[in-house]
Amino acid sequence: MFIFPKNLYTDVRIENVCLNQIAYRNGELLQSLNRNQKGAFIRIFDGHRWYYSSTTNMDRIQEEIDKLALMAKENEDILDNPIVKKFEVNKGEYLYFKDKDISNVKYEDKLQLLKSYFPIIENVEDIKMWRAIYIDRKIIKEFYSSKGAELKFDYQTCGIALRYGLNVDGKTFNGKYDKTSTSFDDLKGLEENIKEIIERDIEFVKHAKPIKPGKYTVVFSPTATGVFTHESFGHKSEADFMIGDETMMKEWAIGKKVGADNLSIVDTGDILGSGFVPFDDEGTKSRKTYLIKDGLLSGRLHSIITAESLNEDLTGNARAVNFEYEPIVRMTTTYIEPGEKTKEELISEIKEGILIVDVNHGSGMSTFTIAPSISYMIRDGKIAEPVNISVISGNVMETLYEIDGISKEMEIVTFTLGGCGKMDQFPLPVGMGGPYIRVNNVNVQ
Amino acid sequence: MIREKYIKRVKELNVNIVQTEVKSVGKKDITKVGYRVYDNGYIGVGGAVGDVDEKQLEKRALDNLNLKIPYPYKPSENLVKEVDYREKTPSDEEFVTEIEELLSILRKEFPEFVFSNKIHLSEFETRLANDVGLNLVHKDRFVMSELIIKEKTSINVIDAFAGYVDRIYNKDKFLQTIRDTLNAYKNPVKLPHEGKMPVVFMDNDILPFTKLIEELDGYKVGTGASLFKDYIGHKKFNDNFTLLQSTQREDLTSFEFFDAEGTVNEDFKYTLIENGKIISPYTDKKTAHQFNLPLTGSASCEYDMVPTLSPRNFKVVPSHKTLKELLDGQMAVVVSIAAGGDFTDEGVFGTPVQLAFLTDGEKLIGRLPELSLSGELYSMFGQDYIGKSKDKPFLDQRFLALNLDVRYL
Repeated sequence: MFIFPKNLYTDVRIENVCLNQIAYRNGELLQSLNRNQKGAFIRIFDGHRWYYSSTTNMDRIQEEIDKLALMAKENEDILDNPIVKKFEVNKGEYLYFKDKDISNVKYEDKLQLLKSYFPIIENVEDIKMWRAIYIDRKIIKEFYSSKGAELKFDYQTCGIALRYGLNVDGKTFNGKYDKTSTSFDDLKGLEENIKEIIERDIEFVKHAKPIKPGKYTVVFSPTATGVFTHESFGHKSEADFMIGDETMMKEWAIGKKVGADNLSIVDTGDILGSGFVPFDDEGTKSRKTYLIKDGLLSGRLHSIITAESLNEDLTGNARAVNFEYEPIVRMTTTYIEPGEKTKEELISEIKEGILIVDVNHGSGMSTFTIAPSISYMIRDGKIAEPVNISVISGNVMETLYEIDGISKEMEIVTFTLGGCGKMDQFPLPVGMGGPYIRVNNVNVQ
Repeated sequence: MIREKYIKRVKELNVNIVQTEVKSVGKKDITKVGYRVYDNGYIGVGGAVGDVDEKQLEKRALDNLNLKIPYPYKPSENLVKEVDYREKTPSDEEFVTEIEELLSILRKEFPEFVFSNKIHLSEFETRLANDVGLNLVHKDRFVMSELIIKEKTSINVIDAFAGYVDRIYNKDKFLQTIRDTLNAYKNPVKLPHEGKMPVVFMDNDILPFTKLIEELDGYKVGTGASLFKDYIGHKKFNDNFTLLQSTQREDLTSFEFFDAEGTVNEDFKYTLIENGKIISPYTDKKTAHQFNLPLTGSASCEYDMVPTLSPRNFKVVPSHKTLKELLDGQMAVVVSIAAGGDFTDEGVFGTPVQLAFLTDGEKLIGRLPELSLSGELYSMFGQDYIGKSKDKPFLDQRFLALNLDVRYL
């Protein structure tokens, strides 16, 4: 297909993207987007440095390869280079969504589905402004390398996102509802769920009081657990932060105890949803990676470069946000494995604490943060009054030991809008989730 | 029918640094074209990336017009203006050599630290033109970086960062920012006291403004969903607090002087809050028309989408005082890295600060332990507002000073 230059490693990633978006605001059509675009990312490696470029002109890929080759230095031993040796050579077509292609659903059907939810919102007097968004995305990727990789695979998601501004007796609140799936049919029949969420939010804004700042025992919902897992530990497991760093290698030695005995954290690209990545953007096949298994550090996330540098196995986590960017180490779907207790048991054992039901956002460095949107006090083992919290935080490595209860119920969540940001690449679709978890000594503001 | 084209071209050179070495060099040259048609109060938009036949684009826009997206407003007309703010920068090859030289100095001067992340040389050209006399062109180019700094003996992923944004590449200026940061980093200090004290944010840090921006949304104000719905024209903040939407040359880094609907503000600015009084929320044409609000030129969109209301380039007007004069003999906390903070719906602010320094207003004195900050919207920009410095005493930044409650985390 391409003439790859001699004595250099080359790969080409072609992305064919179909994006549909219909957006309404207060019942008025704002956007109706049907985007079809194709782009390619080309990389060349000479054993010392990488050179790359992106183009939207499919006829000029060969020209781009030849131009990059001029910047690189020929290396007769390139195939013996340990990084190049590490590349998998996968071939074949893996079109999972060929027979249930979201692009084949008629525009009218998408429109009618979205509009069918309008009456639920329009009938609520306290909702002063709202947006309703339908979005779907189908991507077919091709990957070719000078080592012989020839891959074609696809993935897709669709979703409904509702955003609304409440004003209840002068108190304002921004509410949201998201449903994301890989199947259009899963977006139907959400009426009762949407009503429940709106009613919950109105009750919340009516009665919520500011939290008294301090340290609390906090029960995280699966959404909060997902954000915590992704932000606090997931990003720390991305191995590009460890390359050539002796301190980090010692601190993050495999087998080291890093959390409570019953804590296991997984990343996998095999779960259908926003984090479904059958092959990563270096052509590596997805696999399930335990980051923590029973409280012990068990693995980390890799690209080719990091896996070679740390002499570890590939994990299929080299991802780029789109064809304009190079693959870097990213998560796919990251979650905590379920435990033994029920949600009710976790709550019933708390004298005074907090239940976080939903969140606005989170962040994670040495200190993790979560900005909750819906939270309740727990008093004498029961869910009590709603509370407004601006942010909760804690030291990541200490907090992993503070998890003293994990529920058997679990959920994987994917957000319809937005995604994960790292360096200059945002938003990358990811999945996250887990069970309800109980965490002691969390700083609450 | 009126036809309009919205063209965005981005050319970029990315130098990727790992462990204080250049590991990869990437180039990008992408053109995205949006084609809009306006007819009978509706808008249709089609778009494509790369080379595409204009007839094909027009057909996509006409197909989209059939979906009847309301747009009963006049497209901007009879205005021709082109700015070219590009300054001389090194060639691609020279730029890579310059970065290699910078890294060589850093390896010698700061052997106990490693540096990573990208340095971009990013050039963009945006054109909005239609067949009723609008032709706006903005050309600009920036050297940009947020260099991640890690202490070799640290178990953190990030210990500090040094930012650089300028239309020219000035190695000495970038080095000075890194030296300011790391010399302070290497000197651990303590807070003078816990409790309310001056905290200073870098000029480009939007964290303290997130709630203001959210509540100044013209659609939220118009529909009554904003905290400010009854306060337009009311004085709610400090006499010294003035907030602009600015597209003046010195305030621009990634925006154009015109918005996505071709609105160009007089003197390239629009005052939203003046001396503490809320003058107007920010608006696009639709919001301004629907709620009878002033048009502030705040429409944004991707190349192939309908322009919609979104916040653009807010700037606080600096005071006539230096940071030292503003602090008036007090020490202050400098917020360098504060990730994850937020406001509650009623306006209570809280954030951890992962990296903070202590300053006397003239220099960075040392690194503070991790802190938590808290405040309240109306107080932060009311009685607790101190002002924005006229000078750039360190880190090549002006600073916004507020009194906040400061505690060790």
